[in-house]
Amino acid sequence: MPLIEASGLTKKFRQAVKEPGLVGSLKHFFTRKYRDKLAVDHIDLSVEAGESVAYLGPNGAGKSTTIKMLTGILVPTSGRLVVDGLVPSEKRQQNARKMGVVFGQRTQLWWDIPVIESFNLARDMYEIPPKRYKENLGQFTELLGLADFMNLPAGKISLGQRMRADLCMALLHDPKLLYLDEPTIGLDIAVKDSIRKFIRGLVEERGTTIMLTTHDLGDIEDICKRIVIIDNGKIIHDGDLRALKDTYARDRVIHFQLARPPESMTPICAGLPACEIGSDGLRLSVRFDRFEHAAGEIAAAVMPYVEVVDFRIDEPEVEDLIRKVYLGQLTLSPAVEAAAMATEA
Amino acid sequence: MRGFRKYVSFARTSLEITFVYRAGFAVNMIGTIFYVVAMFYLWQTIFLGNPGALGGFTWPEMKAYLLVAFLLNSLLTWYQEWVMGEDIRQGVVAIDLARPIDFQASRFSRAIGPVPFEFTSALAVAAIVAFAFGGIALPADPARAGLFLLSAGLATMIKFGLVYCVSMAAFWTTGTEGLTVGRMAVQNIFSGALIPLVFFPDWLRAIAAVLPFQGMISTPALTYLGKLDGPTTALMLAVQAAWAVGLIVLGRLVWGRAVRVVTINGG
Amino acid sequence: MAVRVAVAARLRPARRLVYIYFRCLGQQMKAILAYEADFAILMFSAVLVQIVGFAFIWAIFQRIPSVNGWTFWQVVMMYALIYVTEGVGSLFFEGTWRVSQLVYDGQFDQMLLRPISPIVQVLAGAVGFNGLGNIVTGMVLIGISMANSPIEWTPGRLVMFAILLVSASTIRVAINLGSAASAFWIRTPWSLVPTFVHQLGDFAKYPITIYSLGVQALIVVAVPFAFISFFPTAYVFGMEAWSLAGLLTPLVALYCLFIAVVLFRIGLRRYESTGH
Repeated sequence: MPLIEASGLTKKFRQAVKEPGLVGSLKHFFTRKYRDKLAVDHIDLSVEAGESVAYLGPNGAGKSTTIKMLTGILVPTSGRLVVDGLVPSEKRQQNARKMGVVFGQRTQLWWDIPVIESFNLARDMYEIPPKRYKENLGQFTELLGLADFMNLPAGKISLGQRMRADLCMALLHDPKLLYLDEPTIGLDIAVKDSIRKFIRGLVEERGTTIMLTTHDLGDIEDICKRIVIIDNGKIIHDGDLRALKDTYARDRVIHFQLARPPESMTPICAGLPACEIGSDGLRLSVRFDRFEHAAGEIAAAVMPYVEVVDFRIDEPEVEDLIRKVYLGQLTLSPAVEAAAMATEA
Repeated sequence: MRGFRKYVSFARTSLEITFVYRAGFAVNMIGTIFYVVAMFYLWQTIFLGNPGALGGFTWPEMKAYLLVAFLLNSLLTWYQEWVMGEDIRQGVVAIDLARPIDFQASRFSRAIGPVPFEFTSALAVAAIVAFAFGGIALPADPARAGLFLLSAGLATMIKFGLVYCVSMAAFWTTGTEGLTVGRMAVQNIFSGALIPLVFFPDWLRAIAAVLPFQGMISTPALTYLGKLDGPTTALMLAVQAAWAVGLIVLGRLVWGRAVRVVTINGG
Repeated sequence: MAVRVAVAARLRPARRLVYIYFRCLGQQMKAILAYEADFAILMFSAVLVQIVGFAFIWAIFQRIPSVNGWTFWQVVMMYALIYVTEGVGSLFFEGTWRVSQLVYDGQFDQMLLRPISPIVQVLAGAVGFNGLGNIVTGMVLIGISMANSPIEWTPGRLVMFAILLVSASTIRVAINLGSAASAFWIRTPWSLVPTFVHQLGDFAKYPITIYSLGVQALIVVAVPFAFISFFPTAYVFGMEAWSLAGLLTPLVALYCLFIAVVLFRIGLRRYESTGH
């Protein structure tokens, strides 16, 4: 029984169409013309308990609209949506008890009072049993390193600290479901790592279900196993992240630093027929399919002809992949899901 | 004269902004109208029960007084103490310090900008109310009307000087709303906006005489109605002018002090 | 025993709401106390406003003994009731004035994500300490005018007056809440409609008999400010024709509260279906 089950979920917005200028305003005053915008177009989504799902899409694709429907603050136009046995928009407060929300751009903490007071308020709002509250608070304080600023108001702590406090606040009531919206935005790399590690721990130890929307692909790689991509209100991909990479992000690049420019490229190119080779003065780059060749093979093919001073290997970037999908250069096929099944088996 | 142009553009920009926020402006104006209308009904009832003159005012004169007070109070409403607070908060003050402009003059231009808009709107509303309640007293002759306009102009200068001075407090506190409310309360009583000063006991009138507020409403309104004789009118206008100048000078002095505080402490 | 448990169980949600309201409000108070100088100024200014108004009424009654049969202290009481209830609204329910901004910013969503009624969150959302100045000054004026009332103050009458005060405050808060719901239809950073409606209260500072039928209908039926000031005053001073209406005030209060909550809920539904 999936935790989140959506079928044919649709959200249609009516936008007033107004011509520019004074004439347009006057016209609009008398006869209103509307245009329907299908923000979310009959999507089907099924999330099991304990899954960690990345929900991606270009801006305006329908991501936040979907999340708003899932969290119950937006009423769907049509379709079926059940989250843990409840229809979110109908039983909003009950649904709110089962979920935690962390918005990167906005905090759930009260701005002017010490962080600990926000937590205490959360305890009362969610009716957390005192013992459980103490346990969770203690655990999260330690894991997230909150002790230093627990008594400071949210307005006076750094972004990284606020994010950690927000995470704690979202989890104090043991929600089954955690929605994260840009949780690491604006943070430095060390803090990003510790937050990602923490979230991973949640999935592994508590079995919390995670829905992550982000533009930071590092977040996705670190936290999520499954990736759902939405564009123009429709889900264009839903499947295993690793399989996705294996199918589409197959390239690695080796960069060689040379002592002298190569005398001739011909022998090198001859030895690496399927590869993309680029040369720029003292630098030589080889782009190869990582399933076809090992890095050692490439090196062996190159080194007899040049003197290598240093080299570096670039791993496949999900970033490029996603960018291509957004730009329409790449259409993902169901074959990826098949590949996922295969690798699992 | 080239220097003058930038202040004109300040004024024009300010007027445009007021126009953009006309919804808010309209709502504010309508809110004040409720007050005026309530006053009209109140005084109407009073005059009905006590025919003749009260405090030397006939009913048509009282109506005129109330509307003149309304009109003058409507001017410079955009410019209040919060503007200074906002400017400080947004760091505009710091930027302006680095510019070749006179701070007070720039504030004045921005305050004056919306005045034509405020004036015409208030005049239109006042006309409607006057018509609804059966007409008001008008100035006896063009000379009187001219003197009234002069007095009104001076009243506006006093208002600007006053608000500017009070708004200086924004450099030392964060709450300008309280200051505005307080200033308006004191202003309302001592300017004669609530009720002509003649209705108050002597001791209160004596205090009002040495305060600038009188010149903001009472003097122009009384000039309009011709309640003051020649020499007194001249005197009151001179007092108005003196206060206007005095407040503006005071504003410049306080500003100088505030700037020193800001630049030393790093605004 | 079983009955007691059952009753307690039914009361639980209501008690919880009240408890949560005070918890949230308490936190707001702590936050505000951080800005001491501000609230001192605001409070002082609020007191000043009432004193000035009092002086105005006094000045009028120096020349005339009564307005439409209403004497000085009666008018003072009406006037003070408007301010006392405004003070209660500011002190305990200032949150209604923030709704416009929250909806405009998109911050209102936060309230919908919590497992608590958004209305309670709105009501507990802010504290306006200037309200304290209004309440104290207003109560002093009311006290003095009660002392100058010709009627006898039996315990029953006092209790009734207390009920009227609470009812009047409820009406004020209901009006604020109901007009705050306009934020779901008209998106501005400032509270446009609530301010507009609030100004209507100016009419109710004076005996409503001075107004035309239209104005009377406005402040008695449409937005019942008259039940905040005029009718309770009529009751206190035993003004025959009107004091019966004064007794209606608690009912009017409940009615206003009901309408306000309904309006707000309709607004919420609109917010949830049209998005933001």
